[in-house]
Amino acid sequence: MKDINIVIEICGSAGEGTISAGEILSRFMSSQGYEIMSFDSYPAEIRGFGKCVAHTRISSSVINSPGKLADVLIALNDGHSISQLSALKKGGILIYDSQPAKPHEEDKSVLGWADPSVVSYGVPLAMLAQKAAGNLRGRNMVALGAIAALFDLDREGFTDSIKARYAKKKQIVIDSNVNSFLEGFDWTKDHIEKKDTFTFDGVSLEPRGEKLIINGNQLVAQAALDADLKFYAGYPITPATKIMEILSKELPGYGGTLLQTEDEISAIGAVVGAGYGGIRAMTATSGPGFALMTEFTGLSVMAEVPAVIVDSQRGGPSTGIPTKTEQSDFNAALYSGTGDCPRVVLAPTDTASCYDATVLGLYLAEKYQTLVVILLDFFLSNSIRNIDTPKKPGPQMLNANVNPTEEDLKDYKRYKFTDDGISPRAIPGTPGGISFYTGLEHDERGRPDYSDKGHLAMSEKRYRKHASVLKEAPAPVISDFDGDRADIGVISWGSSAGAAHEAVATAKKEGINAASFSSVMLYPFPDEALIEFAGRCDNILIPELNFQGQFADYAQGVIKREVTRLNFITGRPMAAEDILDKMREM
Amino acid sequence: MPANDHYVIIGNGPAGNHAASTLRDKDKDAKITIVSDEAIPFYYKPRLTRYILDEIDAKDLMVKQLSSYSDSGIRLRLGQPVDRIDPDSKTVFLHHKEEIHYTKLIIATGSRARVLPTMRSYSDCLKFISSYDQVMEYKDDIKQAKRFFIFGGDLVAFTFVRLLSKMNKQVSLLIYPNAFWPFNLNEEMEAAIAQSLKGLSVDLLVKDDIKAIAESGNGYRVRTTKGKELNVDMVFSFNGLIPSVEFARGCGLDIDHGILVSETMQTNIPDIYACGSCAQIYNPDINTYTTSIGWPNAVAQGEVAAMNLLGDHKVIESAGRKYFDLEGVKVKTTWWEDIEERA
Repeated sequence: MKDINIVIEICGSAGEGTISAGEILSRFMSSQGYEIMSFDSYPAEIRGFGKCVAHTRISSSVINSPGKLADVLIALNDGHSISQLSALKKGGILIYDSQPAKPHEEDKSVLGWADPSVVSYGVPLAMLAQKAAGNLRGRNMVALGAIAALFDLDREGFTDSIKARYAKKKQIVIDSNVNSFLEGFDWTKDHIEKKDTFTFDGVSLEPRGEKLIINGNQLVAQAALDADLKFYAGYPITPATKIMEILSKELPGYGGTLLQTEDEISAIGAVVGAGYGGIRAMTATSGPGFALMTEFTGLSVMAEVPAVIVDSQRGGPSTGIPTKTEQSDFNAALYSGTGDCPRVVLAPTDTASCYDATVLGLYLAEKYQTLVVILLDFFLSNSIRNIDTPKKPGPQMLNANVNPTEEDLKDYKRYKFTDDGISPRAIPGTPGGISFYTGLEHDERGRPDYSDKGHLAMSEKRYRKHASVLKEAPAPVISDFDGDRADIGVISWGSSAGAAHEAVATAKKEGINAASFSSVMLYPFPDEALIEFAGRCDNILIPELNFQGQFADYAQGVIKREVTRLNFITGRPMAAEDILDKMREM
Repeated sequence: MPANDHYVIIGNGPAGNHAASTLRDKDKDAKITIVSDEAIPFYYKPRLTRYILDEIDAKDLMVKQLSSYSDSGIRLRLGQPVDRIDPDSKTVFLHHKEEIHYTKLIIATGSRARVLPTMRSYSDCLKFISSYDQVMEYKDDIKQAKRFFIFGGDLVAFTFVRLLSKMNKQVSLLIYPNAFWPFNLNEEMEAAIAQSLKGLSVDLLVKDDIKAIAESGNGYRVRTTKGKELNVDMVFSFNGLIPSVEFARGCGLDIDHGILVSETMQTNIPDIYACGSCAQIYNPDINTYTTSIGWPNAVAQGEVAAMNLLGDHKVIESAGRKYFDLEGVKVKTTWWEDIEERA
């Protein structure tokens, strides 16, 4: 059966409808039964004319990474698209505006810089948009029409996807977009002679049923609602803002409350306060906001109050690179704050697992009365996949509080020592459950206790939770070994995991004896499984999107061996090709 | 020359490419750009017939690796037609509305298939073999077709006829004595052609003409003035080439059929040179401008144009390479020599 695997990039300036066009393309291809993974990059500035790229990978089989280079580049803006040519494959396809409204100065046209191997199609985007709708705004739709015509895609089906995208807009908006698309489609059919060999013909797709087209942020928000979140406090920050935006609309309908605070310190303070009150609560932020929250994260752990923080990582320290993806908050998530401060850190490895990790995070925070950090990144937050509708959490996941028994309440000790480290928690107002909460080290009743024995015992108690948490953690995903051993073992986490598993699968087809390992549970980490896996591999490769190799440092400490690192911080997500190239070098 | 000179060459054939490589050899620092309306890299045009009939594969059609351009610092702009040039501002205007500024310009755009004036009303029925894009349109059709009508006759036609015949296709070949480009057909050549086609299943028509061509079913019906009626699948015209210089008209360049140049390939406008089959070169012996075709002539002219652009004063051999080997018969490629002989 013919396999389709194509990456289409649309590059334009902010305000040119680049992202909308990418979204419609994804929506349409999904409706045709293809797997899609799309990812947008856009400027950090809220207003302006920066570069936007909508990157969409379309496949007839399961995909786990976004693809490194594009097969097709649609240039809505020549200036921005010139720099995007470096991401277009040799022999790729370029669609450009052949009759722009204004002439290009020398070296300012994308066609002028296209590699000679590129197959280029000039389409008068501006002219056709003007004809269709009386303005230039529809250039993005004309371009979609051109690509649909070139690849012989369903004209009516595409039109339906455009109508669905703008369903809430006025009819004139829908009409102008549809007309621009049709103008581009018909013009291309009439005027362009296909010179490339790419075709969707002959693809036989398995019926996939209804799919949800969704990104990680949307899934986090939906999971929180489904997992009975009742309080959210937050301060907007890229790339996590969408979570708050969705919850601000939806949470009241679920009987919850959303509070926009003046900053991230207040947000986490409010979340810890709500957790103290026995209410499921969370916040979402990014690195700079997470840095501000560290004071309260310590309180959550010390006072044993449930709190959930979603940290969608972006590039760099401080304000950094707000709209680029990175995995550089690993150390901060595990170790930020003062003292020995055990918390739980989860890192979803793909869009779908953002849902499961959020449900699990709220559950674990409540049950283990501690801080849970859920590490997303810009890519996971924003990349769009078509997935099966997630299964809603069962009742056991919706109320995980370990309540004190009547016996406990006769002589209630809020921080009673137990084998699993979980002390039955009396929600304030529980008769007999008078509790003392403090950031000071304390005894079983919560009263300050600075003794060495007391501090050691409480530290042990807090860390004992880790062993218990691990028992409830999702098992690591480990690929099959070809035989007993592998030449290369690839260990990954977070959004790089999909690329790693895909790279290993491809490497095996090339005859490289490889295996892969990834874990959603980052802290406590399934060390035993890691040691066993590494023990079966001659070489270990750890790809991650940070400069230091933060996870590689951790893994080396566990497996007591040097590992090969693959680190880059270009702002784009890890692609299977990146890892595969490194494996071939090893 | 200052380091920031920009030499722009319009045309990616033998003349343009040899001009570019000569310029690069002699001037390591200049910016050199080749602009071509064809999207395909530099290829052996004479091999097109063999390529479309699968006698050779794509790699044998190509002259150079694309990497050789970047390695030598020559920028190759493919699939970028030129709309016009403005010698006053030294600007080349590309069809996609980009403006390129040059310090010196070489025009080497070659030529395209000529449609005889009497055949223009049938142009929708005619096929040509003069560019890659053109032949790729009907490469598959040629394989499927069984009956061919070929008229006119130039050097490419004979290769095509022989290949079709080898593929057991039915071929009718009508030779136009007065349109046998680039020279007139004489009796000696006619006999040589008949001899060379002997043994092939080719129906040779001479001293006849086309009266009408009409679509008929999936093919065409060709009627000749001698009353012959032929039902064929494809009709090919081989009636020579005309220089591709439309974009240059109206900018002040002296143009007849091609761009008029001196023996040094210099046009009437300073800093603009023309070479290859788009140019008509002044021949002082007969005091007129003539065109010479063929790969070796184009190469020689490209080199001369480049050398002179850099300040040299080389003169092209007036008759270029004089002879082609046509089916074992040496034939002249320059019609002015017939004029010369008649004089």
